Amino acid sequence: MPDTRPDLLKSMSAGDADAVLALGSRLTLSSGAVLFELGIQADQLYVIDRGRVNLTLPMQVFGHEEDILVEERVAGQTLGWSALIPPHRFTLKATAQIDTELLAFRRMALLDYFAAHPDVGYAVVGNVAATVGQRLQVFQAMWLREMKRVLELSRGTGSAA
Amino acid sequence: MIMFLMALSLGMFGLAVTAMAFGAATRNEQTPDAPIQPRLELAPERFFADAHKSFHRQPHVPLEVLLLQIEQHVRLEQAAAESFISLPSPEVLNCRTQSPLVH
Repeated sequence: MPDTRPDLLKSMSAGDADAVLALGSRLTLSSGAVLFELGIQADQLYVIDRGRVNLTLPMQVFGHEEDILVEERVAGQTLGWSALIPPHRFTLKATAQIDTELLAFRRMALLDYFAAHPDVGYAVVGNVAATVGQRLQVFQAMWLREMKRVLELSRGTGSAA
Repeated sequence: MIMFLMALSLGMFGLAVTAMAFGAATRNEQTPDAPIQPRLELAPERFFADAHKSFHRQPHVPLEVLLLQIEQHVRLEQAAAESFISLPSPEVLNCRTQSPLVH
């Protein structure tokens, strides 16, 4: 049977998962609401319960600064892992794409719980590492595809995909 | 007196020959009316992005449409990258997408 729990709580017992979930507080965002801005202090980790969140970076597009989509996070996925990783600053801007519900976990509450329950802390940090690693792998592949496109353009070989 | 006149004639003749030779040597040197301006022939810009029509914003395409195209491009590229991570191979890594920004 597939594990349908949030990716933050995979590979742990149901009791441990419930205990971690109890540390979170529910947060509701309406469509278009900003969850966090780029560069601000990251004190909370989030798990999406329902809805969708856009992660964006600012880019100059024909003289206008626009938020460009970098990633989308959906129900069951974790965002805001900068709360657990120094220097604890968000490296993206998060905006609810539609009405969204999340669980917000304060860093200090998590760290206190992990200190008392190291096995849970180990599992959660492993899950966060998996999220970070997956993003790294995706962007490695995306970067290589863009490099291939740049090379083809510089050689004038036209349309690239 | 005759000797003096002969020497004077020869001297004048020599001076005339020297003047003619000098004139012949410097005849082609012309002073230009205006200083010659160096002409820089600039090659047309060939920055790689300019060579590709996809990088030019069409005047009739609103910014909002362009941003939607960028979003679609990112989603397609991310899906392609995730496919590669699920099943790593050179073919999947270099697969083409239907992104409007690269066609």
